[in-house]
Amino acid sequence: MSTQLRSASAHVFRYLSIFGLMFWAFFTLFPLYWVLITAFKPPLAVIGGPTYFPWIDFDPSLKAWRDIAAGIRGNFKGTVLHSTLIGITASIIATLFGSMAAYALVRFPFRVKLGSGLIFFTIAFGGYLILHEYAGLSRSNAMFIAFSTALVTSIIVNRLRLPGPVLGNDDIVFWFVSQRMFPPVVVAFALFLMFSEFGRSGFTLIDTFWGMTLCYTAFSLPIVVWLMRDFFRALPIEVEEAALIDNVPSWRIFKDIVVPMSTPGLAATFIITLAFVWNEFLFALFLTNSKWQTLPILVAGQNSQRGDEWWSVAAANLIAIIPMFVVALVLSRLMRSGLTLGAIK
Amino acid sequence: MAIFPLIYSLSISFMSYRLIPPLPPRFIGLDNYIALLGQERFRAVIWTTSIIVVISVFLQYVIGFAVAMALHAKIPGEKLFRVGLLLPMLIAPVAVALIARMMFHPTIGPLNELMTVFGFPNLPFLTNKYWAMGSIITVEVWQWTPFVILLMLAGLQTLPDDVYEAATLENASPWQQFRDITFPMLLPISVAIVFIRAIESFKIMDTVFIMTGGGPGIATETLTLFAYQEGFKKFNLGYTSALSFLFLIFIIVIGVIYLAALKPYVARRI
Repeated sequence: MSTQLRSASAHVFRYLSIFGLMFWAFFTLFPLYWVLITAFKPPLAVIGGPTYFPWIDFDPSLKAWRDIAAGIRGNFKGTVLHSTLIGITASIIATLFGSMAAYALVRFPFRVKLGSGLIFFTIAFGGYLILHEYAGLSRSNAMFIAFSTALVTSIIVNRLRLPGPVLGNDDIVFWFVSQRMFPPVVVAFALFLMFSEFGRSGFTLIDTFWGMTLCYTAFSLPIVVWLMRDFFRALPIEVEEAALIDNVPSWRIFKDIVVPMSTPGLAATFIITLAFVWNEFLFALFLTNSKWQTLPILVAGQNSQRGDEWWSVAAANLIAIIPMFVVALVLSRLMRSGLTLGAIK
Repeated sequence: MAIFPLIYSLSISFMSYRLIPPLPPRFIGLDNYIALLGQERFRAVIWTTSIIVVISVFLQYVIGFAVAMALHAKIPGEKLFRVGLLLPMLIAPVAVALIARMMFHPTIGPLNELMTVFGFPNLPFLTNKYWAMGSIITVEVWQWTPFVILLMLAGLQTLPDDVYEAATLENASPWQQFRDITFPMLLPISVAIVFIRAIESFKIMDTVFIMTGGGPGIATETLTLFAYQEGFKKFNLGYTSALSFLFLIFIIVIGVIYLAALKPYVARRI
């Protein structure tokens, strides 16, 4: 091929990719545009067939927003507040503990013997069954006793010499991530039963702030560990080694050196966790009913509550989407500063 | 918190446990599993879910890779594209499904008007078996391609420039460069992305729940939705738990085969 032909083909490639991008952007953005305009349509402009441009083929109206403000479509103010409070608290706790765990998994080798893991599982599972079915203890007591016995025994056993394979840090991380493979429906139901057992023994967790926060913290941890592990791995180890030589305790290394160096990573992880909690539907469906209902439940309810009032559905969707738009802005800024590079190295 | 649900559901998967009528749980061994494997509906549901996962993940990967390549080629207005293209994956699946119902609405949706122009009025997007599957796959692709774009773009940015300079000096065509440099170098991250997307897709529920409710009939019912129906319409807890363990085994088997099959091509561990 001659050079001229080559540059011509490069040009064609360039125009093709611009054209393709335009098409994809249209495909991505049109539904969002549609929600935006539908939220400001008067009912007649929705039912009468599709209309596309404000002031040209329909006159914008604030009917949907007045309905929402008047509380006809459900308690939006309270729900948004709940979602925000739960989301921020759960994300802070999950990022805090998750990043500590991730840091430990990156810098310190852990050796868990498969045998002791099996012993933990047997005692926890068997002990729970025996205590609950035969000794007649309530589920929460049986669980508490079985789990703490299992934990202590397996820690002791782990110190002994045991035959069998030894699991390293990668296996622990895999175990963390594999929790996300389990179908969430069943987890949600088991959690519901566990929470109602706790409720019977005095701690109300269903439909409370702490119950929801606890649940979301637990289920965000795998994501946080997985993301933060890659950020920490990308950090240069020399600084920490220097600090170790100067006898700085490891929690201070973490607090004063590691955390400041990985601020963008922490911010991104926090934001991703927040998005996950904000959008979560299934757990909220099972674990809340009225007092601490979150936004996705209310949005999903719009569909059936008063028939297909699409203008109100669109307005409700928009309330759920706008914070995520801000998140997308922040994420794309962080992305430009080469942040996602760490995630795959 | 994380282990209890697993252990609890494993224990009741071997029992006959119903909330309605409230009989005491009874140990029945593997009967739940055997009943499930023999059920026609269970096989149909696995088939449906697999089709959705395979087609939508394939499309997400191909389109996502192409868009990431295009974005990487330094195009005017790239920043704007990035914000816009990230947005769908950050929206709640519930909201996405409601948007989809507006778009696919047989009389008031814009898609219907577009198809009418081409001479196909009132297509049954959500009420015909094949159209409904197509619609669900489209929505999955719409929502999750941004995830592939995001990670593939990050992958593209790690590729060293000098290899491409050398290739250009050697007169390698763009297609050759893609086939011999870009694609092989991005294979490890590609394998990881497809793996993550496939696992997440197998759990698809919210979208189907709101868009079609599994219908028409059970034509679009996915595994998670089936588990939900058994567990919370019929309150058949033992059965539901057995279902989810079969589901877990199914995913693990597929995942292990997938990773083992691709291991020769991927140098590093995932």
